[in-house]
Amino acid sequence: MEKLVDVIDVCKIYNPGENEVRALDHVSLSINAGEFVAIIGQSGSGKSTLMNMLGCLDTPTSGTYMLHGMDVSHMTDNEQSDVRNREIGFIFQGFNLIQSLTALENVELPLVYRGVPRKERTQLAQKALQVVGLGNRMDHRPQEMSGGQQQRVAIARAIAQAPPILLADEPTGNLDSGSSREIIEIIKKLYREGRTVILITHDPGIAKQAKRIVTISDGRIKSDIINPDADV
Amino acid sequence: MEYIKGALASIIDNKARSLLTMLGIIIGIASVITILAIGNGLKFTVGGELDDMQSGGVTMVINPKKTDKFLTGNEVRAIGEQIPEAYGASPSVSAYMDITGRYKTSGSIRGGNENAIYGQTESIVSGRFYNSDESESGSAVAVLTQEGAVMIFGTTDAVGKTFELQYGSQSREVMVVGLLRSTEEQIKNAYPRSGVESYNYPTVYVPYTLLTQGFGMPGENITSYQIFPHPGEQDPASLRARRVTENILGIRGEGAVSVQSYASMLATFDRILNIVTYVVAFIAAISLIVGGIGVMNIMTVSVTERTREIGIRKALGARTDSILAQFLAESAMITLIGGIIGMLAGYGLTFIVSHFMSFPPRVEIADVLMVVLISTSIGLFFGIYPALRAAKMDPIEALRYE
Ligand SMILES: Nc1ncnc2c1ncn2[C@@H]1O[C@H](COP(=O)(O)OP(=O)(O)OP(=O)(O)O)[C@@H](O)[C@H]1O
Ligand SMILES: [Mg+2]
Repeated sequence: MEKLVDVIDVCKIYNPGENEVRALDHVSLSINAGEFVAIIGQSGSGKSTLMNMLGCLDTPTSGTYMLHGMDVSHMTDNEQSDVRNREIGFIFQGFNLIQSLTALENVELPLVYRGVPRKERTQLAQKALQVVGLGNRMDHRPQEMSGGQQQRVAIARAIAQAPPILLADEPTGNLDSGSSREIIEIIKKLYREGRTVILITHDPGIAKQAKRIVTISDGRIKSDIINPDADV
Repeated sequence: MEYIKGALASIIDNKARSLLTMLGIIIGIASVITILAIGNGLKFTVGGELDDMQSGGVTMVINPKKTDKFLTGNEVRAIGEQIPEAYGASPSVSAYMDITGRYKTSGSIRGGNENAIYGQTESIVSGRFYNSDESESGSAVAVLTQEGAVMIFGTTDAVGKTFELQYGSQSREVMVVGLLRSTEEQIKNAYPRSGVESYNYPTVYVPYTLLTQGFGMPGENITSYQIFPHPGEQDPASLRARRVTENILGIRGEGAVSVQSYASMLATFDRILNIVTYVVAFIAAISLIVGGIGVMNIMTVSVTERTREIGIRKALGARTDSILAQFLAESAMITLIGGIIGMLAGYGLTFIVSHFMSFPPRVEIADVLMVVLISTSIGLFFGIYPALRAAKMDPIEALRYE
């Protein structure tokens, strides 16, 4: 199988010197295309740091990160932007929609930066919104929608241009249990359709639905297991 | 294109704030436009009038600081006869008066003697010019251009018709005795209109004594007059006019009698206008700079407020230059819209001002382009700092911003 993510001995150290924080401490992790991986750990264990690394928002202090065969550990800001645009669909805990834009415009954003022509862009965005069941909410602004709906818009945005990796950081952290279940179902459906999903959570109940569970603690990988009881 | 659309949306989302931000630019551009339009209109009108006079003849001036002597109308006529290089000499008095013929209008009234015909580039097409008796007796007769006749009577068939001249509280009935030729084009474009907003107004030639005796305007004691030199003989003609005048008045000395050069008058006028232009331009520049700083200020606030949005955009793949372009487009749009509003306000102001100052404002396409250029440049220039701030944000920190 194709190795999509290959993190090799990566460290991320904040405030090097005096009271340094080793947010990632010699982490190595490979993820193949089509996997559904949950990364779980306690608060402060380094999950978000890892997510930023995997999502090309951050570069490691040491070590190498190969994404889709490219060494992305030492790229310039603009190169990283392009890689993020092409390879990663982000789903954030706080939705991170732009309040002044409609649902459709939010979903179109990555396509805008991709340089997709307007017509095609709108079509792709509409299709993505239909996938998450928001075909009838396209012209609504985020503040006119419930948390669950906002997160679905964010998912539509993440899948609109079909990036190889879906990267979700606590996607249900701000949601009630009903909406949470809905969102997880959508993510699982996307996985079943063949997408690679990396899901970061501190909720074991959510993690155990993934095929593979990576546990992280104090910036290190404590365990990396195939989950036989995965419920997808 | 995408950036401009986004910029407009963002400006509309923050209407009140955007408008306040634009205020400096609006005021700056409005004052630039006003001064340009007024300046152009003034240059055009006064320049045109000076050109007119210049074509008519050379003005000789007796310096009132050197002598309190003056000439009579007959002496002026006699001077003209003693200058072989000139057609003749005429007193010169003019005024701006309300005119009521078939239509009401207003126009320039030029007073002279019978020699004033030599100041005309066009010849009489019907009737006659006023004669020397009428020149000295305050006769209520007038010569019009065909163009002027159309403006006053609606027809070029005006000889024998009368109209009324009004100056302050006084008015006189005046009869048309002759018409000067106008071009077909001028006649076609002339139509009766009233008031100062018309671009063209009739010129009426009357005996100078009608103005001095009839309306009590100063000029009966003549201290300046015009001579009409033969082509190319301006210098010898004016030199001789000076000598003859000095002889008649029995005065001597540098500057007692002098030639008034219209080139120098025009230059003086230009200089004054330029000074006014520079002063207003300076004020406008300051308000544009202040406006620009205001834009920079607001854009910086806006960038800070939208830190999270910037983080999101970057996470989704916006490059540094996309963010830069987005915020530059926004500041440029703010100043461009401000500039356009300012331009409209400026023209509005100009039309109001010109209404009271009796000259036509002139709107020039170059000015409009300049406004677009200047206001956009201000937005781009003062937008650079906040836009760079936005572009250089670290996506992680921006995303974490509350
Ligand atoms: N910019 C930073 N500067 C200094 N230390 C940081 C920075 N970002 C993270 N850290 C530290 O790195 C460690 C890992 O942080 P991280 O945000 O990855 O944890 P997390 O697992 O996502 O926690 P949570 O579940 O609370 O989101 C923490 O000790 C945190 O204090
Ligand atoms: Mg976290």
